[in-house]
Amino acid sequence: MLAKNKINSFLRQFFIIVCILFTCLQSSANASADIMKPLISDITKMYMSSMVYIFINQPLINQKGGDKGDLFGERFIQNIKQTYFAKYDEKFPLEDHLAKRALLEAMVEVMNDNKALIYDDEIGFKGIIPATFAFQLSAKLATKGVGLKIKFTRTEKNIRNRLNKPDNWEKSIMLKIIKKPQIYYDDNAQLNGKPAIRQFTPLPMAPYCLACHGSPKHNPLNKNRKKSDWTNIDITGFEMENWTMNDFGGGVSISIEKSVFQ
Amino acid sequence: MISLRKETIYVALFYFFSCAVTSQTIKIGVVDYPPHVNFNEELDKSPLIKYMNSVLLPLNYSLEYIKLPRVRASVELEEGRVDILMPIPVIKDSIMTLSSPLFYAIPGLCFKKENFIPILSATHRFNDLMIGFPANSSLVFALKDSKANLIPLMGENAVNRGIELTQRGRFDAFYHPSPVQVYHRNTPKYKEVACSYFHGYSTPIYVAVANVQIYKLLNTAYQKALSEQSYEYYFANRDI
Repeated sequence: MLAKNKINSFLRQFFIIVCILFTCLQSSANASADIMKPLISDITKMYMSSMVYIFINQPLINQKGGDKGDLFGERFIQNIKQTYFAKYDEKFPLEDHLAKRALLEAMVEVMNDNKALIYDDEIGFKGIIPATFAFQLSAKLATKGVGLKIKFTRTEKNIRNRLNKPDNWEKSIMLKIIKKPQIYYDDNAQLNGKPAIRQFTPLPMAPYCLACHGSPKHNPLNKNRKKSDWTNIDITGFEMENWTMNDFGGGVSISIEKSVFQ
Repeated sequence: MISLRKETIYVALFYFFSCAVTSQTIKIGVVDYPPHVNFNEELDKSPLIKYMNSVLLPLNYSLEYIKLPRVRASVELEEGRVDILMPIPVIKDSIMTLSSPLFYAIPGLCFKKENFIPILSATHRFNDLMIGFPANSSLVFALKDSKANLIPLMGENAVNRGIELTQRGRFDAFYHPSPVQVYHRNTPKYKEVACSYFHGYSTPIYVAVANVQIYKLLNTAYQKALSEQSYEYYFANRDI
């Protein structure tokens, strides 16, 4: 009888402990989700704002001479913050996480890497466009070891930079959303063989995309030229793809290792 | 007798303190790597020297910078004539480095300005171009796989000769393992060539150390400094 009571008491205690542990784990998982999803969303929007800023400032980047201080250092970051506000009608996120700070630092460093070119008055088109800026940013972040990976990618066919080819996760997500583009969030993915959260944010095709990816009529190089003299090579040196506003514009793929949240 | 002992003690003390002072000096070998370390100006003005001073001076050692030619630099380190050597890519497994790179070198192509190709992922634009490269450097896949005519240049001075040949129009372009060394605003070459980069193919550049003792002495301070402000970010905020 005594032994039976002891077993019952042990089982009761065991059950209570399991319940407490389960509740703790559950709330910890919820807390992580509460942090992870907004973080990945903030990073996506910061990244996209920087691409927009680079697009808007093509004349400044490519002009010969003049003050280009807006493109460097703290002034560059302030301008991205303003672009973010204009684009999303909300305040720029707090720089309260290592990944966000690493992204902002990488932006400044990438522009500095291009400083000699940007100030080179003998070169017109500098090749610093949203897509190349985004790729440079991704490459820079990859060296920082902060568990954050950012990529501006698209379906594999016709991708211009082979280093931007989608991985298997990105391919599978694009397949799912290509007909009806929407943000795809996955909190059970992998990055570098480690547990990670990932998000794919499709980018709608915009008129400025067509300047390079559209048809010769969109090509600024053909402006004021007879149709018979039009070229289908865009300003970056690639053959234009003849995409239209109805085509899939690719998207921003962001992955963050879960260890970053611990 | 007593006086002799005293003298011996004084000599011993003098010897002890001289050794102590010697051991309090860190000998830093530096190679020319503009714009990070620029031998054409006072060394103290180079951004990497300024950064490393801020890392190392709080350790209360005196720092002695020794300019070294690139070809002999790693031998000086391996033979213990300098305690640390920077900035260098790691080309031998036997060379020990501090645990994180200082920065990354991105390879690229340098052109005469009128032939400039800004985006190097457009590899079809290399078709039939005569592109020189230093024979001892490993080329990036994008270039190796292109239809350019790749011409190796031998010798220790291959990079400088390659740039000159490009300026003279003998090459359409020259592959440089780190074009920032010739294409930055503080060099006369800036007026003569323009370089673009193979982004995504970078090589880490380190501070190498002579032995484990030096590593232990410096690495904690170095990591602390990096966590406060990385060298790359520090450099990006200089007006260079």
